[in-house]
Amino acid sequence: MTLGKTKTKEEVIEALHSVAAEMHDKMLKGKPPAMTLPVRTKKNIQFDKKLQVYKYGKNKSTRDATALGSARVLLRSLHITEFIEDMIESGKSSTLREMYYISEGWGNGKFGTQNESNNLAEDLEIVTKCIREDFKLRPEEDGARIIGNVTFEEKNRKGEWMRINCRDDVGDSGYGVPYNVESEKLRLVEHDIDFVMAVETGGMFDRLVENGFDEEARCAIIHLKGQPARSTRRIMKRMSDEWKKPILVFADCDPWSFRIFASIAYGAIKTAHISEYLATNEAIYLGITADDILAYDLPSDDLTKSDLGALESELSDPRFATGWWKEQINLMQEIGKKAEQQSLAKYGLDFVTDTYLPEKLAALGLKY
Amino acid sequence: MNKAEEISSKQKQIAVSEFFEKNKHFLGFDSLQRSIITAVKESVDNSLDACEEARILPNIHVELNKQKGDKIEFVTQDNGPGIPRNAIEDVFGKFLLGSRFHAIRQTRGQQGIGITGVVMYSQLTTGSKTHVISKVKQESSAVIVELGLDTRKNKAIKTGERREVWIDKNTGKEIEQGLRIRTIMKGKYQKGKQSVHQYLRMTSIVNPHASISLIVRDKDGNIIDQGNWPRTTERLPRVVSEIRPHPHGIHLGTLQRMLRESGERKMTSFLRHNFSGVSMRAAREILGKAKIDEGREPKRIKADDAQEMLNAFQKVKLLSPPMDCLSPIDDLLIKKGLSKAIDSRFASTVTRNPSVSQGNPFQIEVGLVFGGDLGADGPIEVLRFANRVPLMYQQGGCLLTKALESVDWKRYGLEHPGGRGVPKGPAALLIHLASTNVQFTSEAKEAVAENEEVHEEIRKALLEVGRGLKNHLKKSSQRKKAKEKFELVNIILPEIAKKSSEILARPEPDLAPVITQIMNAVFCEEVLDWDKERKIATCSIKIYNYTARARAYTILAKWPENEDTAMVDNDRGGRKETKGIWAWRLDTLNPGTCTTIKFGVSGLTKGDWVDTDIFFRGNGEIIGATRIDESLLDEIRKSEALIIAEKEIIKESNNLEPLIDRAEESVQKDISTTILESKEGQLSLSEWEVE
Ligand SMILES: Nc1ncnc2c1ncn2[C@@H]1O[C@H](COP(=O)(O)OP(=O)(O)O)[C@@H](O)[C@H]1O
Ligand SMILES: [Mg+2]
Repeated sequence: MTLGKTKTKEEVIEALHSVAAEMHDKMLKGKPPAMTLPVRTKKNIQFDKKLQVYKYGKNKSTRDATALGSARVLLRSLHITEFIEDMIESGKSSTLREMYYISEGWGNGKFGTQNESNNLAEDLEIVTKCIREDFKLRPEEDGARIIGNVTFEEKNRKGEWMRINCRDDVGDSGYGVPYNVESEKLRLVEHDIDFVMAVETGGMFDRLVENGFDEEARCAIIHLKGQPARSTRRIMKRMSDEWKKPILVFADCDPWSFRIFASIAYGAIKTAHISEYLATNEAIYLGITADDILAYDLPSDDLTKSDLGALESELSDPRFATGWWKEQINLMQEIGKKAEQQSLAKYGLDFVTDTYLPEKLAALGLKY
Repeated sequence: MNKAEEISSKQKQIAVSEFFEKNKHFLGFDSLQRSIITAVKESVDNSLDACEEARILPNIHVELNKQKGDKIEFVTQDNGPGIPRNAIEDVFGKFLLGSRFHAIRQTRGQQGIGITGVVMYSQLTTGSKTHVISKVKQESSAVIVELGLDTRKNKAIKTGERREVWIDKNTGKEIEQGLRIRTIMKGKYQKGKQSVHQYLRMTSIVNPHASISLIVRDKDGNIIDQGNWPRTTERLPRVVSEIRPHPHGIHLGTLQRMLRESGERKMTSFLRHNFSGVSMRAAREILGKAKIDEGREPKRIKADDAQEMLNAFQKVKLLSPPMDCLSPIDDLLIKKGLSKAIDSRFASTVTRNPSVSQGNPFQIEVGLVFGGDLGADGPIEVLRFANRVPLMYQQGGCLLTKALESVDWKRYGLEHPGGRGVPKGPAALLIHLASTNVQFTSEAKEAVAENEEVHEEIRKALLEVGRGLKNHLKKSSQRKKAKEKFELVNIILPEIAKKSSEILARPEPDLAPVITQIMNAVFCEEVLDWDKERKIATCSIKIYNYTARARAYTILAKWPENEDTAMVDNDRGGRKETKGIWAWRLDTLNPGTCTTIKFGVSGLTKGDWVDTDIFFRGNGEIIGATRIDESLLDEIRKSEALIIAEKEIIKESNNLEPLIDRAEESVQKDISTTILESKEGQLSLSEWEVE
């Protein structure tokens, strides 16, 4: 795994070649070519107690060329391998979507849907123990925005390191986190903050920025944009690891927002192979909680059937297996309500920064 | 005319139109939509019947032109024998003149009120006369006449009669023979399941020898609907002969009338000459059981004795009535008819052997088409026919539908929720009941009435086409699997080998053992094609051995063998296994090799042969072929022998009158029933060769 430390060109190519070699060796022995990889379904996701994150279990599946479908996937893997090797050699990169369109020219190796190509790229990450950054593959999903007194160095297109302070060198929309936030691309230089505040919705992010909350509360504010992208989770993890600052998650009070928190703190199924590099165990859920709905008498909506189902399944989810979460979920089931972050505006635009957040932070011992 | 006469004639006049008025619902003129269908039906059925009798391949054209209000101009034209000048009046002007009214054989007529009803309906609704042009071949010119009805005298009113040379407007040529009818009636043209279009489409399916066309125009002369169903065969339906009634189907009233009208002097001759299936021996036995003296004069038999006779009829073994009074469509022609009207992937048809119910010969034919353009969501299309006439109403209450619903279609690959109702899926099912006496549920003749024997026969036929469908579905899924495997080893695998070798800069591996591992089976793939130039249907059977050891098989293929066809271009030789099945020996088929058997069949037309079965004999399965069932072959052989035996007995019995009595007692009865049960498909074992 190259997270944290860079793999050389040669190492990546060698890892990819080992996939082709597994197939070639099988054929030399008169056997159908195959590729072995962990089962990537919920069934094979286990909570790693030591790392406190979700990882793939021991179940392996062999994709071999005894059926037409899997044979096609093997052929595609070889085409991707060749494509990545070409990019590495020529110093290019492409988005996953571009690769999907490029595959049009791969004849029988072309993809049916983009989902197929995305999944296969992930498969290759898993079997080669590389990450897509090594493969020069970029996602479409854009990374987070950050505002606050933190300073990064980012390598620009000319290959020069650029110093950026996320308070002084950016506009109102903040610093845009690049897709690759590994150390060969991004360095965490210095900071003058007490904590990181990760915000689910754009509306609340803009409210906090307008109210100057970053300076007032000495924090960096990150906009998650819903379910956070890989790079967003990774940069939070690095700030937590390298600066040892608490990550506080501020989201809506509904079961889906709880899951956003869970993926930040413990990992997600699709990226379980790199959970320990993406998940920030120390992250804390700040609000909005079910308690808050009652305590602040917030405007709320009824829980839908699917909300209730999601809550129920969270009760058996090890990521919510703490007394505090159980209490919150039970309370929510009891009152049958959910509330948005912006419902705090009931008490005026400044209520969130003047009253709500200070009170919540004080409860955590973070005074300002 | 005095006052009294006047009154009485007026009453009569009221009576005939009242009769029409009162019985509109079963005469088919009860609604504006229905009336137009009925008019087309009366006219087209007549054209088909007339052409059939005159042995002419029918060309029938129907034209409907909307007029102001809800009036429609109705035109039909055929190329039939025409109607002689002096008969025109009676045909169009008298009710119930059907020429075949009392004959016992299968005809389309006898369904409705006849063409006179159309004349009457037009006159009553619009006052229009019916214009008729009739050309008989032997005469030099056509008769042109306008007809109305004198309802008082039940007689036609002829006006404007003249003779003219009849010229076809399109070709400018003289029309040699045919009949054209034109009138104006109230009606409403509608599309859909119950429409003129559907009626003609269905008619064309069961009359593949007819070319039928339809044009419908709106008030302004724009074409709003049309159909064109060209003939798919030049073969006319066979001539049906009339038969005498069979004792098992006779009612007391009819029997008494026959006795009364009989000129016979003795009861034995009365029975033998007026009924079919009654031999001398049987006549004696009947009379003995009924305690009637053989010498008595039929005219003097009273009701009590007639009733005794009726009872005796049921107790005595009788010959079946002759079956040449029926005119089945023939399964190959049903297939053609269906495929011209419906685009599908698969068609399976069955013509059952004739059977008897209460002395009435009947015969069931069934056709199933599946796949292609057919919609997959709703219930399948049910096409019901009685004596080649489409039944378009009361589907649910019809025996044909009920028999269809009684089959467990899930077992044959159709969706059948709860095992009830009409199954769902991309299929259409045709059921044809041919009978000398179709029993309907009501006078309207829209639905066939319950009858256990008919029900059973339909079921058997349906099960047979059902098995065909199941077989087809299994075959196509096997074929799909085999196709995928071929693609895998022939295209994808070599590319994997090439690409991985390129990436690793290694030599390419030998794939033969890999392929054997992946396939580990023998595959068979057959392709049927049509050689346009030589007019030969071709069949090519490829056998691939993808196993690790050499194989030896006998490959057998089904082919449409009959008097007109021959096997050609069969370079591999082989030998005839039995009628319709050819066999080739494959001595060694080495691992990783493939061999092809090719042959052609002459004497067919394009589309005749679209599906075949491949069988094998030998060790190890072949994907895409079925292991030949030796016991089935054996059965086929036996039934073929029986058919030959039957033919011989019939030949003899035609020559030697006394033999009938002997034959009926045991042999023939047994043989004919055995044949009915065992003859499935067209295979016969007359030329069976023992290995
Ligand atoms: N298109 C026609 N061509 C020749 N003869 C016809 C035609 N239409 C009717 N006929 C003759 O007129 C007869 C009466 O017809 P119809 O009244 O419809 O009764 P049915 O059809 O029951 O016999 C037919 O039996 C046939 O002999
Ligand atoms: Mg008629």
